[in-house]
Amino acid sequence: MLAKFVLRRTLAAIPVVVGVSLIVFLIMHGTAGSFVPGLSLNPNFTPKQIELLKSQLGLDQPLWIQYLDWTGIAWLLQRIGLRVLLVGAHDITPGVLQGNLGQSMVDGTSVASQVFDRLPNTVLLTVTAIVIGITLSIPLGVVGALRRGSRVDHGLTVMSVGGVAVPAFWLGLMLILFFSVKFHDWGLPFLPSSGIVTPFSGGDLLDRIAHLLMPAIVLSFVYLAIWSRFTRSSMLEVLSQDYVRTARAKGMGERRVTFVHGLRNAIIPLVTLIGLELPGLVSGGLVVETVFGWPGIGLLLYQRALAYDYTMVLGIVTFAAILVIVGNLLADVLYAVVDPRIRLA
Amino acid sequence: MIDQLAVEELERGQVGPSPVAGRRTKSYWAESLSRLRGNRIGVFSGYLMLVLAVIAILAPFLSAFVTHFDPTKQDLQNSFLSPGRTHWLGADETGRDTLTRLIYGARVSMGVGFLTVAMQIVVGGGVGLVAGFFGRWVDGLLMRIVDTVLSVPPIFLFILMGIVFRPNAFTLSAVIASVGWGTVARLVRAEVMSVKNRDFVMATRSLGASNMRLMVRHLLPNVLPVMIVAASLGVGAIILIEAALDFLGFGITPPTPSWGNMLTNAQTYYAHSTWLVVFPGVMIFVTVLAANLLGNAVRDAFDPRLR
Repeated sequence: MLAKFVLRRTLAAIPVVVGVSLIVFLIMHGTAGSFVPGLSLNPNFTPKQIELLKSQLGLDQPLWIQYLDWTGIAWLLQRIGLRVLLVGAHDITPGVLQGNLGQSMVDGTSVASQVFDRLPNTVLLTVTAIVIGITLSIPLGVVGALRRGSRVDHGLTVMSVGGVAVPAFWLGLMLILFFSVKFHDWGLPFLPSSGIVTPFSGGDLLDRIAHLLMPAIVLSFVYLAIWSRFTRSSMLEVLSQDYVRTARAKGMGERRVTFVHGLRNAIIPLVTLIGLELPGLVSGGLVVETVFGWPGIGLLLYQRALAYDYTMVLGIVTFAAILVIVGNLLADVLYAVVDPRIRLA
Repeated sequence: MIDQLAVEELERGQVGPSPVAGRRTKSYWAESLSRLRGNRIGVFSGYLMLVLAVIAILAPFLSAFVTHFDPTKQDLQNSFLSPGRTHWLGADETGRDTLTRLIYGARVSMGVGFLTVAMQIVVGGGVGLVAGFFGRWVDGLLMRIVDTVLSVPPIFLFILMGIVFRPNAFTLSAVIASVGWGTVARLVRAEVMSVKNRDFVMATRSLGASNMRLMVRHLLPNVLPVMIVAASLGVGAIILIEAALDFLGFGITPPTPSWGNMLTNAQTYYAHSTWLVVFPGVMIFVTVLAANLLGNAVRDAFDPRLR
């Protein structure tokens, strides 16, 4: 049963992967004029040189061949001896399927190696933010639910409504202004405003934590606002269930009712919600990474986009999209393992 | 001919259980509106949004007759002037008046916010309606397209399109809406699927109503509340995204002032000119807060699932 479910979901994910690669590829092709910016108009090249350059870049091949080449399907076909199908193709290279996301147009480095260099930094930042979000939002949500309508509850509501409305980049700027700039002016110990370690001298654990603190807090802010609300309403719903009343009726202590019967059931939907954030592991922090100069994938994308490094940008977007699809698939499967009712649906 | 008459009668609500005699029943819309009016926070937020919209529309008049500054006119003598009598909210690095620029920034934020919502409601609503109504392969195809669009991290897609299209306010709205319609389509589709199995649809169909008529005259009014809720909850998030894209340099680009791109320059100078960072951020915060609170109030008043 489970195996069948996994297979069904995997098959359903294939058209999505194909669709994403098509969208990304076509946007890339839309920029083909700028793919080699203004190539055809450059007076320094003779038409023959332009032909040669286009041929070297593979731009003279039919569009569908270029797509198959980029995705790596062409390479696969060639390997299994179906080269004949690829009419008008030349110089077939491994593509996305073979883990080749292409080369940067600016410095020629491999996109995949750049992405994997930055990935750990991004994951560190996002995981820290998610952990901060979970450890604070669950207690806050529980308190809000248990003391519904109290001043504490209203305060928490205001906080979470406000929290969603604060622009993350602005919050980051304000924190830097306060904890880096002003604390420095006042002669207090201040937090570093950017980067992941202090250049040259830094790198020990304390230094790393000091750099991680502000970006992680800013990033966790939105999670906190949403998840604490969610925990609160989920907890309220569970506490009104019959089995909670039964537990109380048979004389179970309030504490045990709250935490064992209440909380344990209330956080199940929260797990799904947090699972939905997992794709954001790669992209969620782009704005925060930019503000704090955190050398993650988001900052890489931002810098390369400003430099018009199309291939790098497209490679990163493709990578992130594939990660999202695989992540969703895993989440679906995990959820089906946890909750057998889903498999049957 | 008879069929046609019967269909129209059904549409006017003359067939079916008549309201209890002697008691006037409020229509769904009247009741929702009166609920909305009863929500003080919602009403206040609504007025705040209205004021911001009026400010945005009247920006040229305000800058000519109230602040007496042009949003893009440089005045290097007065760069970094603190808030005071000449420049009420100070001046930026090239001596441009902050208040005037904030007023013009409201045009971008409000304009893009509402335009984007309109686009994604129309496209998403249409796709959701068609997918939910026809089901089968139409549904399968359209929903796979939605899955596809929604599986690329949105901010990445915005940046990608930002460098390809170099957006103005209109194209920026299209760029943001090109992702947002997917969520709307999912919502509307789910609602249509639950409504289309109700008896009145079957009755109308058996009286000979065409597919088009069923969708537009019968299903659309029934899913309208969901669309209204989605629209009003969307504005705040869109204004935030728009500001972030402007800030990063992939949205509205200078010299057109927007709250987001004002912050891009300001972050260089905040050590000595703090107000340059504070004011645009506060404007974004207040606007998004008002939009979200209004959205929540509309949801509480209109969402049939919360009744």
